Formats: sequence, structure tokens, C-alpha cells
Amino acid sequence: MHSIYSFVTGPLAWLAFIVFIGGSAFRFYSLYSLARKKDALVFEYMNLKFALRSIGHWLTPFGTRNMNLNPAMTVVTFAFHICLFLVPLFVFAHVIMWKESFNISWFTLPGVLADLMTLVVIFSCGFFLYRRIMLPEVRYLTTAVDYLILFIVAAPFITGFWVYHQWAGFPTMTILHILSGEIMLVAIPFTKLFHMFLFPFTRGYMGSEFGSVRMAKDW
Amino acid sequence: MKIRPRTFKIVAMIFAISLISFAAWCNDCMDIDADVFENNKRPFVCFSHDDHNDNAGIEDCAVCHHVYEDGKLVADETSEDSTCSECHAVEGDSKQMALIARYHDRCRGCHLERKSGPVTCGECHKK
Repeated sequence: MHSIYSFVTGPLAWLAFIVFIGGSAFRFYSLYSLARKKDALVFEYMNLKFALRSIGHWLTPFGTRNMNLNPAMTVVTFAFHICLFLVPLFVFAHVIMWKESFNISWFTLPGVLADLMTLVVIFSCGFFLYRRIMLPEVRYLTTAVDYLILFIVAAPFITGFWVYHQWAGFPTMTILHILSGEIMLVAIPFTKLFHMFLFPFTRGYMGSEFGSVRMAKDW
Repeated sequence: MKIRPRTFKIVAMIFAISLISFAAWCNDCMDIDADVFENNKRPFVCFSHDDHNDNAGIEDCAVCHHVYEDGKLVADETSEDSTCSECHAVEGDSKQMALIARYHDRCRGCHLERKSGPVTCGECHKK
């Protein structure tokens, strides 16, 4: 137990962060090179004003037609993404470890709020799973990897909730919680989770093309 | 014999107080520096001083009750008469993050080094 704990919180944590940062830099570099080689016009059409206009609309709840057509999905997806980001960064148990390791600390969420936000993430993942299975148009686009990614995202929150409430076997679950977080970090650069970094560029390009070439809205 | 409600209440009270005291005495729980923390985020750690040191075979008080001067450990000096927060608490830090980090380093660090004792959050901060 002690050796495993030392390993997952030491060398494996470093490896996960290195792969996360290095892998993301590599993905940016390779996507940039590919675009330069195969579709250099992308860079000609990019327009900051139209890009920001589109990104702004898509970051605003119910700011697009598509969001108004699927209100349930809109509410769940916004709640999900907000909680997904805030909980790991601002939960007290994580911030204290930044303090211990790097002597830096910041604002922390009240325990009850972090607990509720964790539930939001878990139930949202359930909603996304239900949607993938039940909606024909989503099921048609779904592959096994999509289910795996959903599991990778849900796992740190399910294990975290388990550990926080100290349910049966929570010390082992703590190790699984750390491991699942590391798996998620490593998965980000190499799966569609990379949209967390890529979305300003894909959305920005669409906004640019619709705005300055087609003279149309893309929201 | 008829037991009057008042007598019953008094006996019950004495019984309850004895039970709580006995439980506290058995546990020998110490809330180390509890009053330094304004709004604690996790349950306080029940630290049973004598049991812990017997189990761990710690005889040198200075392992925990150390004295540092100018960042250097002073040999053969101990500090049982002062609280941890006297040196490790940071003024203006309402959450006492620095002090918490010192506790975690001291307890978990030693447990990891000796491969014995609790290391995950809930093993010490029991609900």
C-alpha cells in the first residue's frame, strides 16, 4: 500500500503531467504542420473578429440555435463543463497538496458545494451515456472509444466521491482515484478530450469562414 | 419501589457522563492545536499520543517536538511545552494552509518512510 501510494503520487504523477503537457504541445505542433501542408487557406481565412464572435456565442448558454433546440443537453453540458473544471482545481484536498508540493495555494470550494458539483459531473456522464445509447443520431456516430472516454472522465469523480464519504475500502479507492486522474490527464492530448484546447481554433475557424466568406451566422 | 422521574433523570445523567468520560479516556484522543483553525474543512484527527509512540517505537521526543534555530535542527533540545502553531502557523492565513502542510509532512512523510501507518486522507480524518 505505501509503495503503491508513493509510486502513484510520485513518479507516475510527474509522468502524467509531462505526457499531458508534452503531448498537448506535440498535438498542437502536428496539427499546425498538417494544416500548413494540406490546407494552408485555413490561415488565410482566419479572422479574429469573426472567430471571437462565434466563440462568444457558443460559450453563452442558449446563445445558439442548436442549444435552443436541445435545452436539456444545453443545461447539462454547461453544468457539466463548469463543474468538471472547478472541482479538481478548487477542492480543498487538492489545493492542500499543491501547498505541500509547491508551496502555492488559492481559493477553495466549500465541501458541500464541491460534493454537489461532483454529483453534477457524475449524473451528467450518466445523461451523456443515456443519450449515446437512446438517440439514433448520436448512436450512429458512437464508437467504443466514446464509451471509454466517458468512463475515463467519470471515474475520477466517482472514486473521489467515494473517498470523500469514506465508504468501504476508501484507502484503496484513493489509489484508484489518483490513478484515474492520471489516466484522464494522459488521455487528454490523444483523444477527443483535446477539444478543451482545440475548441477556440475549430470554432474560431468556422466563425471566420461563416463570417467573412459565407457572410452567415454559425450559431 | 417507585422510581421518581427526577431520580431517574439524575441517575441517567450520571450514567451518560461516566460513559462519555470512559470513552474519551479509552480513546485518549488529542485534537492537536484544534483552536488555531477557524473553520476546519475536514474532521479533526484523533491522535492517541502514547499508543502511537508505543506502536511506532518512538522514544526520542524531538522527532515531533523538535527545535529549529535559523533553519537548523538543534540537537538534544525538545519543545513539548510549546504548540506546533507557535512556530508553524502563518499570520493572516485564515485556513492555516502552511500549518496543515507541516502536519501532513510530519505524519504522512514518516509513515511513508517507515512504510507503516495511515497515508490517505480519510484514514486520519475519520468522519
